[in-house]
Amino acid sequence: MPPIVEMKDIIKVYPNGVVANKHVDFSVEKGEIHALVGENGAGKSTLMKILYGLEQPTGGRILLNGQAIDIQNPQQAIDLGIGMVHQNFMLVPSFTIAQNIVLGREPRRGQFIDSVAAVRLTEELSREYGLVVDPAARVEATPVGMRQRVEILKTLYRGANLLILDEPTAVLTPQETRDLFQAVHRLVSQGKTVIFITHKLVEVKQISNRVTVMRHGEVTGDVETADVTEEEIAQMMVGRKVFLKIDKPTQPRGQAVAEIRNLSYISETGQPRLRDLSFNVYAGEILGIAGVEGNGQTSLGEVLSGLKPATTGKVMIRGESILGRGPRGVRQAGVAHIPEDRLTNGVALAATIAENLVVDRYYQPPFTRSGVMFPTQMRRQAERLMQEFDIRAAGYEAPIGSLSGGNMQKVVVAREFSSEPALLIAAQPTRGIDIGASEFVRRQLVEKRNEGKAVLLISADLAEIMSLADRIAVMYRGQITAIIENSAGLTEEELGLYMMGVKKQPAEELEQMA
Amino acid sequence: MSRKRRQFFLELLRIVLVILIALILGFVITALVSEEPVEAYQELLTGPIPKISVGEDGLQMRGINRFGNWLEDSITLTLVGLAVAFVFKANQFSLGAEGQIYLGAMAAGIISLFVQAPLAVNISLALIAAAVVGFLWGLVPGILKAYVGADEIVSTLMLNVIAIQIYNLLLIHWLRDPTAGFIGTEFFSETAVLPVVIPGTRVTIALFLAVAAVIATWFVMARTPLGYEIRVIGANLKFAEYGGINTKRAIALSFAVSGLLAGLAGAQLATGLVKQLTLGISVGVGFEGIVVALLARNNPLAVPLAALFYGYLRTGAQIMERSSDVTREVVLIIQAIIILMVTAERLLPLIQAWWRKRRPVEEIISSAESREAADVL
Repeated sequence: MPPIVEMKDIIKVYPNGVVANKHVDFSVEKGEIHALVGENGAGKSTLMKILYGLEQPTGGRILLNGQAIDIQNPQQAIDLGIGMVHQNFMLVPSFTIAQNIVLGREPRRGQFIDSVAAVRLTEELSREYGLVVDPAARVEATPVGMRQRVEILKTLYRGANLLILDEPTAVLTPQETRDLFQAVHRLVSQGKTVIFITHKLVEVKQISNRVTVMRHGEVTGDVETADVTEEEIAQMMVGRKVFLKIDKPTQPRGQAVAEIRNLSYISETGQPRLRDLSFNVYAGEILGIAGVEGNGQTSLGEVLSGLKPATTGKVMIRGESILGRGPRGVRQAGVAHIPEDRLTNGVALAATIAENLVVDRYYQPPFTRSGVMFPTQMRRQAERLMQEFDIRAAGYEAPIGSLSGGNMQKVVVAREFSSEPALLIAAQPTRGIDIGASEFVRRQLVEKRNEGKAVLLISADLAEIMSLADRIAVMYRGQITAIIENSAGLTEEELGLYMMGVKKQPAEELEQMA
Repeated sequence: MSRKRRQFFLELLRIVLVILIALILGFVITALVSEEPVEAYQELLTGPIPKISVGEDGLQMRGINRFGNWLEDSITLTLVGLAVAFVFKANQFSLGAEGQIYLGAMAAGIISLFVQAPLAVNISLALIAAAVVGFLWGLVPGILKAYVGADEIVSTLMLNVIAIQIYNLLLIHWLRDPTAGFIGTEFFSETAVLPVVIPGTRVTIALFLAVAAVIATWFVMARTPLGYEIRVIGANLKFAEYGGINTKRAIALSFAVSGLLAGLAGAQLATGLVKQLTLGISVGVGFEGIVVALLARNNPLAVPLAALFYGYLRTGAQIMERSSDVTREVVLIIQAIIILMVTAERLLPLIQAWWRKRRPVEEIISSAESREAADVL
């Protein structure tokens, strides 16, 4: 039997000259769970966009069940039984789940939409594939995990036999991830085929039968998942040996560097984002903030770094209150900040590396003396930091926009670490960057901790938190639901209960752990 | 560095190419409306250059006043171009230069009319007054934008109306010479106008003022904390805030410094060229400054070159209008087409993309690979 889908010698050159796919061969057997992995920019999204008709290949052919096909647009892909669940859900928030699922192919009774039939069809599909949804609920009122199930049901309703899931676990809690994996297995047992795009190697091992690895637009591995280790997959992705585990010596923690008491923040639009947070960050520790994204972590980083004003509460750095001081005052108090949204806050794309590296210190000597700036000093620092932090670029005059995501993040890390902070806030420091750069950034964080700095690590990547943090605080709906020592016995499931708000530590215990 | 130099030459090549295309288009239009298109177009292209001939009385230069017109205009355009470039660099689209020119001219004019002092003192005072008034008038939309969030395009256009009407009000009801046949002040006295440096023209010491302004603007932009702040704000406002820059102050100052330079342009008009205050002393020069700044890509060192180019075009167009059968309207259309072509940033990239498309895929892949390899090195 021929593979359900075969992509042969696919070449894709974008109009701006970027070569996303170079002679890519990719095939998926029927009934397989096929993981597609690679770093950002490796070309995996482009390959899937071609399969789903969102992009046209520059060269190559696509065979579906041995038949050559030409996919001009997503509608054709859907008609051929190919469905894609995007990372950003494409649902109408104010519609019910049933309405969303039948959208565009509504069952009709005469001239009218048969909403009773829509609910019935949704229930049938839901039962058949074990994807639990509430057909009558509005999408905006449902949790992320259910929205994802709606997306999958939507593609199934349109007759998909081959489902492409684009980084489906990025927004899920551990429990939701487990549920998703069960659902995926059930889909396969019902005769469907699944392509699973991810960059989490643990998941590749957990769920897939085969894995295709891409790097720089080429396939660097196509193997049975059982035959390889995570390290081997990582090596295929990066092109060199990678150490996934980071050694962290145990050390006693020092004085409280940051003391946060009863901190609340209400956004400009009147949404309460932080509710009565109290915790300390101690010298020589990494405090990890875990939680499903959108539970206030972003606001926490912004308020602590002075970008947003706190509504009530106190924040003390080494005994000094920093609220209301603005970003410069906070920085001068000894806080450095790796921002969550690198492209918006962390860099100016059009400016050079040298210019990006001085944004917090340009007004001080040696960069400015008696009101005059000395570009040579900026260059000298840039050359030094580029070497120290292994920033790969054409030179310090290169605009940041010309760097890869990983190197861009290294510029941010170089600037923030070299300011010798007492407290380092790292918000999603490895998001969207390649494994090699992630490894580097994590190592640097641990090194700062070993040097006796206080590190506040805000990350949606639970594995990252569990491998780096000394203590873990869990956020749920703007509150801290637990602060736990990160011991060997701690499981993702236990954290997951706090992340979903199912469990909450009693107040005294929270206070004691703060 | 070699990358930077390559970029520079590409940019230069781009501009030359686009100007060539624009001139060809301009000639096509001239050919459509003129009986003698070649002669008419020649006036446009060579008009501002003085004609040197060896005759019976030795070396002779004709058209020195045309050459003077070119330089005079370029000086004004340089000052206004710097003003616009400065504020544009902060990504603030101030259109307030016109009003600032009027008030600068007014301030310089009042000093020239009423202060009796030696030349050096008198013109220094006039220039300082123009600069201060321009600075303060520029600060108004700057503060409105930075602290109150008023859209700068709207506020500067409205402030232009106010500035021009204040100018008219003072001129008509207070400063005008009642014996003159038109609305204008008396001519300024000898000690109150900028001294001429090229005889036979109105090219005054404003030439040195413009050169100094170019250097000073470059210095502020490239070598001071304020310049750094403005560049970073222009590149990414959020990043500037995150880095701890006092963005409100820097934005307000970018408007004010821009106003200062435009005020000086007003002083050059009043005390250098017209030597009196008249109604409509600046006919949209503030907006011509936008063209100059765009041509110069907001780079202060490129502003005088852009001003010379644009000034040449303007002077040539006037000469063409005077000495051929091509009407003013057509001349303006040709001028506008040339500017449109030059400022169409995407024009050349589009041509490049089209060219690239014609190359086979394999070649693109291999050239991209060699580029990647170069990047790693």
